[in-house]
Amino acid sequence: MCNCQTIMPSYEAEQHIIAATQHILKALGASKNLSDEFKRVLTELDSHLSTMTIITETEGGRFSEIEEQLKHAERKIIRWESDPCLIWDSGPMEATEYLQAVNEILIVIESLGGLSLSENGKPKEIALRAQNALQRAMSRLEEELCHILFQHKQYFKPQYVLLHSRAEGVFYDESFASVEDEIVDETSQRDGEDRESAECYLDLVDPCVIPNIKSIANVMSASNYIQEFCEAFIDIQREALYEYLSVLEMEKLSIEDVLKLEWDCLSRKIKKWIWIMKVIISVYLASEKRLCDQILGDFGSFNSFCFIEISKDSVLCLLNFGQAITTGPQKPEKLFRLLDMYEIMADLHLEMDSLFSEDNGSFIRIEYHKLLSGLGASARETFMRFGNAIASDASIRPFPGGGIHPLVKYVMNYMRLLPDYCDTFNLLLKDQDIDESNAVVEIDNGQDFSSSTSCPMAYHLRSIASSLESNLIDKSKLYKDDSLQYIFLMNNIHYMVKKVKDSDLRLFFGDEWIRKHIGKFQQHATSYVRATWSSVVSMLRDDGNTNLKERYRRFSIAFEEVYKNQTRWCIPDLQLREDLQISTSQKVIPAYRNFVGINNRNVSDKHVKYTTDDLEELLLDLFVGSPRSLHNSRRR
Amino acid sequence: MPATEYQSSFLRRISIRRNQVISMDGNHEQELEDLELFQKHVADWFAGLLSPSEELISSEPLMSISWLRKLVDVFLCCEAEFNTVLIMGRDPSQICKPPLDRLIPELMERAVKALDICNAVSSGIDSVRQCKRFAEIAVSALKQKPIGDGQVKRARKALSSMLTAMTIDDKENNCKGAERTWSFGRRGNTAGANKERAVGNFRSLSMIVAKNWSASKQILAMYSNLVAPRGGEPTGLASPVYILSSVMVFVMWALVAAVPCQERSGLATHFQIPRHLAWAHSIIALQERIAEEWKKKEKKCSAGLLEELQKMEKLGQSLIEFTDGFQFPGETEKMDEVTAQVAELAEICWRIEEGLVPLQMQIREVFHRIVRSRTDILELVDNAGKVSQPIV
Repeated sequence: MCNCQTIMPSYEAEQHIIAATQHILKALGASKNLSDEFKRVLTELDSHLSTMTIITETEGGRFSEIEEQLKHAERKIIRWESDPCLIWDSGPMEATEYLQAVNEILIVIESLGGLSLSENGKPKEIALRAQNALQRAMSRLEEELCHILFQHKQYFKPQYVLLHSRAEGVFYDESFASVEDEIVDETSQRDGEDRESAECYLDLVDPCVIPNIKSIANVMSASNYIQEFCEAFIDIQREALYEYLSVLEMEKLSIEDVLKLEWDCLSRKIKKWIWIMKVIISVYLASEKRLCDQILGDFGSFNSFCFIEISKDSVLCLLNFGQAITTGPQKPEKLFRLLDMYEIMADLHLEMDSLFSEDNGSFIRIEYHKLLSGLGASARETFMRFGNAIASDASIRPFPGGGIHPLVKYVMNYMRLLPDYCDTFNLLLKDQDIDESNAVVEIDNGQDFSSSTSCPMAYHLRSIASSLESNLIDKSKLYKDDSLQYIFLMNNIHYMVKKVKDSDLRLFFGDEWIRKHIGKFQQHATSYVRATWSSVVSMLRDDGNTNLKERYRRFSIAFEEVYKNQTRWCIPDLQLREDLQISTSQKVIPAYRNFVGINNRNVSDKHVKYTTDDLEELLLDLFVGSPRSLHNSRRR
Repeated sequence: MPATEYQSSFLRRISIRRNQVISMDGNHEQELEDLELFQKHVADWFAGLLSPSEELISSEPLMSISWLRKLVDVFLCCEAEFNTVLIMGRDPSQICKPPLDRLIPELMERAVKALDICNAVSSGIDSVRQCKRFAEIAVSALKQKPIGDGQVKRARKALSSMLTAMTIDDKENNCKGAERTWSFGRRGNTAGANKERAVGNFRSLSMIVAKNWSASKQILAMYSNLVAPRGGEPTGLASPVYILSSVMVFVMWALVAAVPCQERSGLATHFQIPRHLAWAHSIIALQERIAEEWKKKEKKCSAGLLEELQKMEKLGQSLIEFTDGFQFPGETEKMDEVTAQVAELAEICWRIEEGLVPLQMQIREVFHRIVRSRTDILELVDNAGKVSQPIV
């Protein structure tokens, strides 16, 4: 009864006052004149006295007034006990009257407070009756509170929430309609801005009943029943949050369940989780906290106590899902989901810290930051494993046709998605020993590495590219034919360059890397031309021993052999194929034309199997990937 | 915290051992020595829990909060020492060969189950704390002088909320989900639920425990494939894996028995550790004592074996009886008894307040430690295996 004690004098204090008053009377008796100051003080005392309930009458009449007051209040309270209606449903007048009755009881208790209740007698009897009536009223108010909260709870329908998942370049569409995503967007942008703006809050309880709830809180607190109020409030609000989570289709999954999920399903659940985190933390919990503050803000720390009790379970449940994800195996495809999760948690961490800023919320704050750094570590580890997996990916057989190896396609397409996560990634990679809680803050400072080729991510990307390259060289050695080795390397390095040039990766690889690698695949092209065609063309050369007819024949055989082989080979990129066909032509055609030009008089047409035009046309069949043969069809 | 005492001495020991390792080359002997040490520590730590010193026996009875805190500390120590035995094992390739190629994945599965149990236990601790808040209301009401019907009724209401929150049948939690409908007694609708239902009995609807999850099934699954390595076999690391698994199962089992937890039928049957294993003597004795308590508990259908919880329940029942029979002004003798009970309940509330938060933190630490070790061990397996798998 701490409130009452400050208002009501204790027995001892009363004795002091009596002594002081006697002293004043004595002084008044001694002097006839009153100074202005003295007069003012006495007037003040007078007005004070007139507002107090004065218990100065004779023993019989002394308590009758108080008893009357109590009886009056008791009647009102008891009347409602048999009434099937709810007080607050019966109209504002009824409610006000009821609260007034409770206040009257409080006044009775207050006015008896100064009296010694240790002995049996009238004051004690009245006090106990008042306590009893108060208890009945409190019990009733608790019930009314539960009803009001329950009947006036409001759900904002979570419709139309776009979750942009960058890693897929597609939008998460659950065909929700539009209200909330604006709210969510706004809240996520509002970091550092005025957090009090109305848009980020929702009314979890109809605003028109807030004054009613607050009046119940006030009177229960004044009656020292605030704990009962809180327990009831927590129960209903926690339940409402559970219910809301089930409206959002948040599933309760054990860690074991999560680890058993197939990737596709897990990926969907992660996207959902990200969305739920956003809605719950930046909208729902912010609103819940505001509600707690509105209703309980005047009564010490009860507001934060209630808020934490209401939200703790649900928050821990959300965090537990994240924990399960970091516990699972670190497969490369998980990286982007991990980064998505990390980013949303990093985005929300300030809001989270302010929601749970009190001491008793530190448990949740700590868990949140642990998960955040766990996700970061998990993403980093996944990325490193990805690099290692590339380096150690071994093949036994050569890749047919020398085309683009699936590993290269996979790795390049995978890497292409990373620049979107550049800032996050740089933080995670920059200093691997750094404490994540510090690192997160830097995201907001917006250190911009994105246009730099010297940021940690650029370094890691190039290092992955270089493992990929050496892996390709190993794979190329599986070909027995040198020419096919060159085609394979040319194709794959060209593919890498193209992927880099056509995406944001170019910013991280830089012009120099691109130039160097263009040089590399061109070099492989040149090597191919030399390796394949030098010997073919050399058939035409006069070595002094071979006659003209034989040179024609040998050339044709060699050409046909190449044709048969290399029409099977594959250069998927049309431009690259054309370029190589041109450089092949440039090597073969002038030499052949020259040879034919010099020798056409010395040898009959039947020995000249192919005209220059024939060859030129035939060269266009190379690298298409469909094997052809010249022995029958092309023979004249 | 006692944990730090254990751990600091433990860390010292490891560092000493590390130095020894460098100077030694007999790998096998070192391994045997490690194993012996591990077994000895496990035996010592649990012996301390089974028969604590004279001055602790009254202040830290079996299954009290402070006893459980020690138990959790012991688990953390075992876990840490196991990791050093395994990770500092001189022959990492062992881990991919039989029998470890089977035992390690099994251990990892147990670890995942233990994580879910930690969550459920932590949630159970929250229910106990909620019970404590109701008990506090009752205490403050019954402390009023003079006591009249108003305060007695107030106390009764709080105590009954407390007991309802406590005695919710384990099984009932399963079928209750978020779709549970509200019904308030007599007003506005026809449902006949009583008023007190409105408050205090939904705590058990934990958000963090999955719907059909069962604590006893998880415990059972943790030990169903747990077999002691046979004496004759060259056991190597199989033995520490078995020891840690047994300790893990035992500790999780004790925690589940202590606080309210979802679905605990059949918890009295515990797993059997062969009696000839010297390190397990104290664990076996503890198992028997706790199982005995559990059987008694099952008959009473109470919330858990946690000493403070049981006392709170007993006092709650006794005080409710008092409130039911109370007639102003109450007999002096009875009132003195009540005053003593109220004081005792207040003391228990205080102990719960002081002890449960740290216990919950420790359980969280167990959770994070298991996660970390699991990651480390999986990495070890990965490195030891080094089977390059194509990623496409």
